[in-house]
Order: sequence, then C-alpha cells, then structure tokens
Amino acid sequence: MAFLEEPIKKVKTIKNYIGGEWVESKGEIVDVVNPANGKTIAKVPVSTKEEIDSAVAAAQEAFPDWRRTTPLARSRLLFRLKELLEENFEEISRIQTQEHGKTIDESRGETRRGIENVEVACGVPTLMQGYFSEDIASGIDEWVIPTPLGVFGVIGPFNFPFMIPLWSVPYAIATGNCVVVKPSSEVPNSQNRLAELAEEAGFPPGVWNVVHGGRAVVNAMLDHPGIAGITFVGSTPVGRDVIYKRCGETGKRVIAQCGAKNFMTIMPDCDINRTVAAMMTSFFGNAGQRCLAAANAIVVGDDDAFYRSFMDKVLEQASKIKVGYGLDESIQMGPVRDKEKKANIMKYINAGVKEGAKLVLDGRKPKIIGDYPDTCFVGPTVFENVTPGMKIGAEEIFGPVMSVMRAKNLKEAIEMSNANPYGNGHSIFTQNGKSARDFQYNVVSGNVGINIGIVAPVALFPFSGMKDSFFGVLHTQGKEAIRFFTESKVVIQRWF
Amino acid sequence: MIIHTASEGMTLARKLENDSAAFYETLAKKYATDAESYLTFTRENKKNIAQIDRAYYGVITDALEGGYAFNLETDKYTIQTAISAKAKYADVLKQAAAMEARIIAYYTEAAEQSRALMADVPQTFLLVVKKRKTRQEKLQELLEKA
Repeated sequence: MAFLEEPIKKVKTIKNYIGGEWVESKGEIVDVVNPANGKTIAKVPVSTKEEIDSAVAAAQEAFPDWRRTTPLARSRLLFRLKELLEENFEEISRIQTQEHGKTIDESRGETRRGIENVEVACGVPTLMQGYFSEDIASGIDEWVIPTPLGVFGVIGPFNFPFMIPLWSVPYAIATGNCVVVKPSSEVPNSQNRLAELAEEAGFPPGVWNVVHGGRAVVNAMLDHPGIAGITFVGSTPVGRDVIYKRCGETGKRVIAQCGAKNFMTIMPDCDINRTVAAMMTSFFGNAGQRCLAAANAIVVGDDDAFYRSFMDKVLEQASKIKVGYGLDESIQMGPVRDKEKKANIMKYINAGVKEGAKLVLDGRKPKIIGDYPDTCFVGPTVFENVTPGMKIGAEEIFGPVMSVMRAKNLKEAIEMSNANPYGNGHSIFTQNGKSARDFQYNVVSGNVGINIGIVAPVALFPFSGMKDSFFGVLHTQGKEAIRFFTESKVVIQRWF
Repeated sequence: MIIHTASEGMTLARKLENDSAAFYETLAKKYATDAESYLTFTRENKKNIAQIDRAYYGVITDALEGGYAFNLETDKYTIQTAISAKAKYADVLKQAAAMEARIIAYYTEAAEQSRALMADVPQTFLLVVKKRKTRQEKLQELLEKA
C-alpha cells in the first residue's frame, strides 16, 4: 500500500509568532526528531522570559480593538480559518505523523477533531449572548453581559500537537480575548502551521501568538500579571502542583487537564468482536499516548470460558497489529514520542513481570514494518492476572500496555475503577441496559463510555475529567469554554 | 495482501475509481459511437472519489477504530484494465462487466466490514454500489447492441 510523502522536507529553525511577526528566538535551539526514523525534522527554540513578555505585550495591545470587533466579524475570521484548515487538511495531518509518530488515520482524526472546535466557536454570536430580566423591581431591569478578560495562555501537550490547543484557542479568540500558545517543544510544527493559517485567515496582529519553549516559558506565563488565565493539558504532577497551584497564587483562571488510568469494564454479555475492535484502538491507538487511552480491562464474572474466548480474541488481534512509521498507510500503531518515554514504558513492563503479572504479549522487542531503528517503538503488550495494587494496574504508563484484571461482579468492577485516583475516561461493554445505567451512574469519571473505547467528547461537549485527572471548574470545548473565557458583567438599570 | 486501515481502504477505492475511469476513457476513444456513455462513467467515477473522500475526511476521528476498519484481501479486487489489441467489442464489454462486478464486490464487502466502525463511510460505499449496478445494466444494453 501507499507510503505517503513527508510534508516537512527541509530542517528549518522554527520562529515564534508574536504580534503578527515571525520572530527568531534568542533562546537555545534544540532538535525536533521524527520518532519513527530518528531524523531531525526541525529545530525549535527554548524561548526566553523576555520573549514571553513581548508576546503578552503584543496580545495586550491587540486586545482593546479585538474586543470591540463584533462577534460576527470574529466569527467570519474563524470561518475563513476553517476553510483554510480544510484546504490544508492532508498536509496538517501528515505533519502530525511526521513529528509525533501517530498513524495517518489517527492524525486525520486529530485534524478533524481540531477543526470541529473551530466550527463550534464559529457560533460565538449566539453562544456568547447574555440574558435579560425586565422589572426585577418595578422599573428596574437587569442583564448579564459575557465579556472577555484579556490575554490567555494555552499550554499544549506532546500527544495531540494539533488538536489540543484548539480545545481552547478558537473559543478564547471568538469571545474577544487574545492568546499566547506554547506548544510542546517536542512537536512544535503543527502549531506553527496552524499559526501560519491563522495569519492567512487575517486575524489581526497580536490576537494569536505562539511562543516555543519549555519550563521557563511556562513559568513566565504563570507569573505574568498580564495573563488572565491558563489552559493546560499534561501530566498530573505538573497540572496539580505547578499549574493549578500557581494560577491560584497569581489569581488566574485555570483549566488543568491531566493524567489518567482508564478502566474498561467487560461484561460477559458484550459483543466480543466489536468490543475487541474498540479495545485495540483504545489500548494501542496513538501508541497508548492518550489521556483517554484504556489502561486496565476488568473482565466481569466467573465464567472462565467467556474470559478465555475474550482473551483469545484480544491476543489474536493485538499480536497482528502492524507497527511502523505512520506515513505507511498499512501501519496500525506508530512509535511512542521519544526514547525517554519508551524507557519509562519498559520500566513499567519490567515492573509488571517482577510483581507477578503474567506477560502474555510482550511488546519490548516489536517487529517493525520497514527499515527503522527501534529507538522509539514499543509493541502491543498484554498482561493478565493484574491486580489494582500493582504498579502497572495503578499508575499511568502512557504506552501500549493492557493490564487485564477480573472482578466478581459489576459492583466490584466499579469499586476497582473508583479506587484509582484518576477519573478521566472509563467505559463499559455490555448489551444490558441496566448494567450500562448502573455503571454510568456509579462510576466516578469525567467521561463515561458505553460500548465506546475512547470516550473523547466532540467539540459540542466539555472535555471533562474528575479526581486527579482534572483541576479547575469549567472545561475546554463547547459552552463551558465560552464560560471560561468570559466574565459575567451584570448591569442593573433604572431611569428616573 | 490484506488491508486493515481506513486509509488503505480509501486508497484502494480511489485506485479502483481512477483505474476504471482510465479504462472507460480508452473505450470512449476507441468506440466513438458509445463514447458519451463511457465519458459519463468517467465523470461519475470522479464524483465517486469526491463523495468517498468527503465521507471519510468528514467522519474520521481519532475515537473511531480507523486502524481496524477492514480485513480485505486486495487480490480479490484487482481489475483488468488493459485491452487486448485482438479483443472484439463484445469481449471488451464483457471485460467491463467483470471489472464492475469486482468493484461492486469490493464496495459491498468494505461497507459490510466497516459498518460499525466508520460511520458514514459504508453508506457512501453502498451509494456507489447502487450507481455501479445501474452502470452494469447500461453495459448489458451496449453488449446486446454490439
């Protein structure tokens, strides 16, 4: 089958986009490496505090005029951006594969999900409307006006380089705010291409800024008094102990979407074939590097024959997954993002073996399709006899590792899921409505799936999360994002 | 070769449409009396590609099982588009009918396999099947006339 052309052909040093200008950074330059073939595809700066200051200043300068731009006019620019994203859909998708490693189907899926957020934000003229009460007392009226706050910082993760900043940015700017985006320095190309298209769409200088870098940039954003709020997607330790805490200290609004350990509850009445197909994508899609990736499968009941037939099907499918470079269309699983992440996954697999779990599919030395170094590849890995107390059953691995557990009944399965500190995306697979209802009612999880492997809310709905998976109040996407990026101004009026 | 991913399935669909379009273009040049019918087929093929792409790019999301959408043996769907210099018109029409049967078989099987995994894609495949069945009738008419 076809091997798709790489969109990035020359190694360029990525620039920051500040105040409508492409600006070279004075910071240190580091390589961006394609995890599939080990080739350097770009060089990215670790920008300085001064450069963040400059981006925030540009955004602050742009804010008054942008706020005065009508919601309809702001929406038209978003429509134009949407058209440009559709026109460049394939290129954007291939960039993601080249810099992140995910398969081309996964990248296209990410692109579509990103565009959907732009589409929803296009509805800002109605989404942002306030409300009005006549005669709250005789002759006195009262109404609420959602108003923008100023400048927001958007900190993106490495696992969805294109889509995740779009959970925030379209809503922030649609509501009249300006943004400073800090993409993951491991995968900066997608956001730079997006900023180029935003520039082409005609957003005024300073409305949409991109500054590349690492911890120093994040710290500068967190401390900056000119930033009204932060959205962040990343690990729980950083989200909870750095982002959420520091935003509290500096009086910023915050959405911190964090880590996960997602449980799939498999009822004995499930449709095995369809359940296993959903399992494959959920556990091994994006090489397990999703905050909604399944990590633990709990098979319910003492029916050993069912358990065996389920596991046989899982192993048959998982062992056939084709691992390689995602621009080869036949590939079903790409590499993990870098060798450090691979080493971390290996550490967990080794810990699982040591703790006594049964390694029934070993992905430590995967068969790679094509002539690529095995630096970042991990094959599908399946453990049986896992208990919730084992490291592999309890902690976030962020790799293609399936830990299979058993529970006596649904109640016990839900208790096992709820005992874990994370609550991001739990699912049940069943044909029974009552089981499904009991599950969705009792499970403590921000996103709940019923016969769904990856419980990723579409842009109309908030991307939720509970417990250690989320810190904040409102969520990204949809109406909640509109609320997050606006302050309610209440007006009470009386005329003498 | 067996294909599994949605991307492979779409590429094969595009290839079948493009190859069969090229075949009909050749026929249009070679058999001028029926050229309009063949050129209509060619135009329809291009529309089919646009429709299939629209369905795929419109519904593909990372939450669908795109990597596991199909389990199709591609050898079953290879089509014969080279026209033998010695072939009579009736033989060529039979070749076209055989080609259409294979393409219909592909879309039918692909629609069935991806029904639960790819949302609007199977529906589009079945629309193409419907159009191609009408095409088969037209080819039969031409054969009876030949």
